Amino acid sequence: MIVAEQKPLEEIKSMIADARKVLVLGCGTCVTVCFAGGEKEVSILASQLRMATRLDGQEKEIRELTVQRQCEYEYNELAADHVRDADMVISLACGIGVQTMNEQYPEKLTVPGLNTSGLSQPTEQGVWEERCQACGNCVLHLTGGLCPVARCAKSLLNGPCGGSQRGICEVYAERETPCVWDQIYHRLKDLGQLDKLLEIEPAKNWHTSRDGGQRKIVREDLRL
Amino acid sequence: MSEFEPQVLAFACHYCAYAAADLAGSMRLSYPPNVKVLHLPCTGKVDVLYLLRAFEKGADAVFVAG
Amino acid sequence: MNYTKKLLAETGLEPERLEMFFLSSAEGVRFAEIATEMTERARKLGPNPLKNGKAIEQPMEAEE
Ligand code: SF4
Ligand code: SF4
Repeated sequence: MIVAEQKPLEEIKSMIADARKVLVLGCGTCVTVCFAGGEKEVSILASQLRMATRLDGQEKEIRELTVQRQCEYEYNELAADHVRDADMVISLACGIGVQTMNEQYPEKLTVPGLNTSGLSQPTEQGVWEERCQACGNCVLHLTGGLCPVARCAKSLLNGPCGGSQRGICEVYAERETPCVWDQIYHRLKDLGQLDKLLEIEPAKNWHTSRDGGQRKIVREDLRL
Repeated sequence: MSEFEPQVLAFACHYCAYAAADLAGSMRLSYPPNVKVLHLPCTGKVDVLYLLRAFEKGADAVFVAG
Repeated sequence: MNYTKKLLAETGLEPERLEMFFLSSAEGVRFAEIATEMTERARKLGPNPLKNGKAIEQPMEAEE
């Protein structure tokens, strides 16, 4: 899922400095399940902002609302009255939600309350680890189901590099990130497919990823 | 307001602290009248938002007892 | 509890205004002590700065 983290309160406060009526708008999908921008986080931030702005002597009216999915017009339509009523919107959705809101309500500025931080897997309660970088040309079938693009610090396709130390990646070694190429080796060994590693993977065509500019999917079969 | 009388809110578990508060009462122990006790089925019911709301509404101190 | 204290500090309120205690149903004396302690603590810290004006008289907001 898309995961995000809330920005520091100070940063959020400075974004809304000029507004008097502010709507905190959450999203009920990815950021709800990663505890960053659901109904509860919206209420907590709204309460903090009400108190903090009152303490600063410039009390603001802070409203709260959470829509099911902020990256789709249909859901945001339900927020129309609240948006009209506010001077500014703080979105607790991922960057897609923030942009959808700005596009849909061009007369109001929607600012980001979160930092969108990856496509991750919740690996234990309170921990999210990045798993995919949406490279547009998946190689998981070659690597035993472990992604070297997102999980190798150098995104190597023919790893490991010389810095793999007892299963730990040399990049920010103090974080003790497992070397994914070490993991790939062990997985393929378990699967009896070590021969796959003998094949040299040619340089990846990154045009399907960010290097080709903004990507767009058009499905003619689905269009109206 | 010359004399400041704090408003203290206590979130108390029905089975432990509320019973203790009850006992304090029946033992005729005196504790400051500033403390208002809120009764919860269990302290597990306490939520960050209850606590924030209490401060937002002006409580001077809040404690959770379980 | 620590998380809420952190939220309070970030907001600009003293985290000491909030505390958690563990006690059993038999500890009536302890309860009275705690009540006194927290009242004293609040007295030292002074009034919650959010209390000024009519703000606290307002009913809970509807959207809750
Ligand atoms: S190879 Fe690309 S698409 Fe597949 S998991 Fe890795 S980043 Fe995602
Ligand atoms: S040590 Fe492993 S994960 Fe780290 S950069 Fe080298 S190959 Fe990639």
